[in-house]
Amino acid sequence: MTMMIPYGQRVTPDRQATSRGLMRPRPVGRAARIILSGMLALWFALPLVPLLLWSVANRWSFPAPLPTEWGFDGLGTALAQGGVEAFGRSLLLSLAVAAIATPVGAMAARALAVGSVPAPRLVSGILLAPLALPAFVAVMGLTVVLLRMRVPAVVGVLLLLVAAALPYTVYTMRVTYAAHDLAFEEEARTLGASRWQVLWRVHLPLVAPGFARAAFLAFLVGWSDYVITVLVGGGTIVTLPFLVGSFAAGVGNDAIVAVLSLSAIVPPLLLLLALGRFGRRYAGGTRTPSASPLARSEKGFL
Amino acid sequence: MNSHHPARAGLAASLTLGLVAALAACSAEAGASSEQSYESWDEVVAAAEGQTVKLWMYGGDEQGNAYVNDVLVPAAAEQGVTLEQVPIADTPDALNRILSEVQAGETDGEVDLVWVNGNNFGTGKEAGAWECGWTDLLPNMALTDPADPLLLDDFGTPVDGCEAPWHKAQFTFVYNSDTVTDVPSTLDELLDWARANPGRFTYPAPPDFTGSVFVREVLYSVSGGYENVPLAYSEDAFAELTPTLYDELTDLAPSLWRGGETYPQNSNELNELFANGEVDFTMTYGPATLTELVADGTYPAGTKVLTLDEGTVGNASFLGLASTSGSKAGAMVVANLALSVEQQVAKAEPDVWGQFTVLDLDQLSDEERALFEALPSSPVVPSYDVLSENANPELAAAWVTPIDEAWRAQVLAR
Repeated sequence: MTMMIPYGQRVTPDRQATSRGLMRPRPVGRAARIILSGMLALWFALPLVPLLLWSVANRWSFPAPLPTEWGFDGLGTALAQGGVEAFGRSLLLSLAVAAIATPVGAMAARALAVGSVPAPRLVSGILLAPLALPAFVAVMGLTVVLLRMRVPAVVGVLLLLVAAALPYTVYTMRVTYAAHDLAFEEEARTLGASRWQVLWRVHLPLVAPGFARAAFLAFLVGWSDYVITVLVGGGTIVTLPFLVGSFAAGVGNDAIVAVLSLSAIVPPLLLLLALGRFGRRYAGGTRTPSASPLARSEKGFL
Repeated sequence: MNSHHPARAGLAASLTLGLVAALAACSAEAGASSEQSYESWDEVVAAAEGQTVKLWMYGGDEQGNAYVNDVLVPAAAEQGVTLEQVPIADTPDALNRILSEVQAGETDGEVDLVWVNGNNFGTGKEAGAWECGWTDLLPNMALTDPADPLLLDDFGTPVDGCEAPWHKAQFTFVYNSDTVTDVPSTLDELLDWARANPGRFTYPAPPDFTGSVFVREVLYSVSGGYENVPLAYSEDAFAELTPTLYDELTDLAPSLWRGGETYPQNSNELNELFANGEVDFTMTYGPATLTELVADGTYPAGTKVLTLDEGTVGNASFLGLASTSGSKAGAMVVANLALSVEQQVAKAEPDVWGQFTVLDLDQLSDEERALFEALPSSPVVPSYDVLSENANPELAAAWVTPIDEAWRAQVLAR
């Protein structure tokens, strides 16, 4: 990987700009950045504070600023109402959606990026269509079709959720493949690697960060869905959004809703943190195309 | 709080519901008609053995869920029927599922029983969502009053044995006695109170179920009582009666919470305003849960029920049996069980759910009646006799949409 120096310099910022210090962190800018990210963090964290408080409040009468009676009634009820089972089902469902939608989306994106698809604009349009169509409308018609075809409820839910997740995985992977350098694979092939070796040792490691981002988005689609799970699943899969939705529709359930919502935030948050670490590890390594001069030059040409 | 959710309908849901209902009606011949019909109750009981019944119901009421899971489910198990509750946010979810199954010709669908009434029942009946003519078989139907108008018509739609009664509801105004000292005794006085106390009263925007019934209550009031409003809808009656209604509500608007610039989107939001002391009145179809909401501090300690001299609207809610159900016998056993004295007493217990019984106490034995009479009285909610005194009938469902739409056009957009 030390062979592609010549193109690298072309996209390096010119000296003048560098000497003006645009690329160098300035103290004022740094302070502003810290304040800004602090405020952003606060913006995200603030709504969680009442949620956290409610989750340990047995009683919180207006206008008391803090819960008037602390306790775990909300947790108790959430458990009694099948919270754990619903959590498990949600997790399984979302993982299954991510496991199917990510490779399928990646293959579609690669085919589109390589240009081996006839009428690529039309195909991309179709792949992105689920984004434009309100889920409710699509589901109403599809439920009947799935029922007529005797598709088991769970399979139907999975199929539709994968379709709903595909626009995200395809889009993410297209961005990844746009920045992906096929030369690495060609190089490996000329050096005698088999197709599988190329896939496992070269291709996948290179697109891994994009793959992880796509999987995360697909997971979120499965994790947050209500409409498809209710209508197509026909009540066979009672997931977390099911419980949150039904409890949030009533009064006096704030503690239960808080507990359920908090537990609904945890997995995506953990995944997001994992994704951040994963992304950094790869970005810091020498293998990623974005860190290599060639890739930078490629982007420069695009 | 809104234990009358069976008829709540989101706008999107009802729109699509209408669409699907129309489609389903077109392909009515594809609708699953029941293959087996039962001649006797014994046949039903025998067929029900080992069946699994899914009861779809609004799941936002913790007490309701607890009653079903802790009381009804074990009792059904004793009769060899596995009962499973499917908690949903809104009843149209269940109806949409049944209508999809009807269209697909499904005969062993995922929905067996639904807690339902009003519009959802009427729409579903038109589209063939419900199994009909089965409630005569239920032995416990004998405990109800065969002439009870609340059990014969559901918002103007004849019940026709397409749903089994479950409990009764009474539209109820609720106020905070700590802040309201001059308590109104008629709806007219209530509106005057609102004018005298600007910003302390409001109602949910129709088509919210509760907001919608409030507007109909005002219609009764400005028309001089429900007797003067024909229950069946006609354009003439609408044109004659509603101008006074909208004049009254438009005139009232500036005195409402936030000057009537905006309204709570649903009864839940109004309840929050009441819980937070931002308004002094709320209203509900399900007064049963008030006791618990006061006890757990959600509602102010001074919460009281306001009974009106002219009475308020009352209705019943039901268990509908899906026409696509593959466990009809099991569902009938559960519906019959739900009508038993033990279950109706347990459900009426304020600590359990506090729902008013549909049984006719005159049909019961002395011991059975004593069980109902022994129910503890709530410090907040008066007994059903008091609440339902002068109960007003519901207008036919056909009235509801025109009234709600005209409210949007004339009062909201004023």
